[in-house]
Amino acid sequence: MSLPTSLPTPEQLRNTLRSVVDPEVGVNIVDLGLVYQVDVSLAAVKVLLTMTSPACPLSDLVMADAESALRAVVPETIPVNIELVWSPPWEPSMMSDKARENLGW
Amino acid sequence: MAGSRTMRWREIPPLGRLPMLIFGMISLLTAVLGGLARLAVDVPAFAQHQAGVHGALMIAGFFGTVISLERAVALHRFWPYLAPLCAGLGGVVLLTPAPGLSPILFCLSGGIFLAASGLVYRQMPAVFTFTLGLGAAGLLLGNVVWLLQAEIGLAMPFWMTFLVLTIAGERLELTRFLPPNPTGRRIFIGVLGLIVIAAGLMIFAVPYATQLLAAGWLILACWLLRYDIARRTVKQSGLTRFVAVCLLAGYGWLAVGGALGLAGAFEPGHPWRDSALHAIFLGFVFSMVIGHAAIIFPAVMRVKIPYHPFFYLPLAALQLSLGLRVVGNLGDGWALRQSGALLNALSLALFVLTILISVIRGASNQKAHA
Repeated sequence: MSLPTSLPTPEQLRNTLRSVVDPEVGVNIVDLGLVYQVDVSLAAVKVLLTMTSPACPLSDLVMADAESALRAVVPETIPVNIELVWSPPWEPSMMSDKARENLGW
Repeated sequence: MAGSRTMRWREIPPLGRLPMLIFGMISLLTAVLGGLARLAVDVPAFAQHQAGVHGALMIAGFFGTVISLERAVALHRFWPYLAPLCAGLGGVVLLTPAPGLSPILFCLSGGIFLAASGLVYRQMPAVFTFTLGLGAAGLLLGNVVWLLQAEIGLAMPFWMTFLVLTIAGERLELTRFLPPNPTGRRIFIGVLGLIVIAAGLMIFAVPYATQLLAAGWLILACWLLRYDIARRTVKQSGLTRFVAVCLLAGYGWLAVGGALGLAGAFEPGHPWRDSALHAIFLGFVFSMVIGHAAIIFPAVMRVKIPYHPFFYLPLAALQLSLGLRVVGNLGDGWALRQSGALLNALSLALFVLTILISVIRGASNQKAHA
């Protein structure tokens, strides 16, 4: 059975998450490589996020911002679950080519 | 929805963090007034009595509270919040008729903060998390020295290490966004070694130790100016650029403080001590606080702080007034130094006011969007 057309694709949701920006670097969380996984089903939207440092107090805020960005495009009946994960640890190679280019790689 | 997450992690919700932040702010206010009293400025009597503990209130009280609170928020656990609670209480107790409890509370806070920083290191063993741990050890050592000696002069270099290394560790972390630089990494590790040796020497030979520490700060300032992402992000716009400007200004002050310290000015009684210490604590540390308040405060208190170019005003006021103070101190112009210090205090007041107005602006923006 195909998904109803109103259900956004993981790629669309990744694009939505580009509105969440790390203010320190001025680059969004998708291009920084902090979004590990986006799963979409009728049961739930599930997103796995990481942070570059366990000492960074921004994780709560980033997750809340990501959640409200997703809530705006995900049908109301579908819950949005965002989980903070530390494995695998973030590495610079996870950044997008565009972000790396901007940062002088 | 945030609530359900909070419940799962059994951490303190933003409103529960408010009392700690208020305790911290009481320490900050009293510390600033007590500092002014040292420079013969007329301040309320309650603050006049605190002139002798200006440094303890500022570092163990105010910074001990806000930095350990920030780390507790990052760790999503309950027990690390005991660190900001003890530090906040320690600062407030200092103002009561039984101030003797205060250093004990500060030590307790420092110990919990060090344990929390150890947890950060265990979660991600790296040079930057190790640096944060060394910074936390600096706070605990400074607090223990103050408890045992009741003498702020000897605690001060450790407290300085706490703040400088905490900032340096966080900046090192952000350099991971840039292409790796093995030379930069080696220099950073070398500076850490120098700081640890200086801290160890502090027990035997204070003058040499503080000069060694100052040399470390000077190298670190050059390192930050050369390798920090601020040099790149300053070319962006809005908040990102503002943060970078604050940082770069701060690195300049770290270099000034390091150079003065190298000339012996970190030592108690040295005529330039006022300049050396405030170049580090006001110039370097507070510039960084002004830059990051709009990022960290929303994370800790879950309020919006929209960027406004007005943010540059308290930053500029702090830079100029600190310049006046340092010129007054080095040129032996007492009135200039005193006016500079008074304007430093007003700059901080302007900064706090800017944040409060921004929080109200953020709330009304949100209402307008809802």
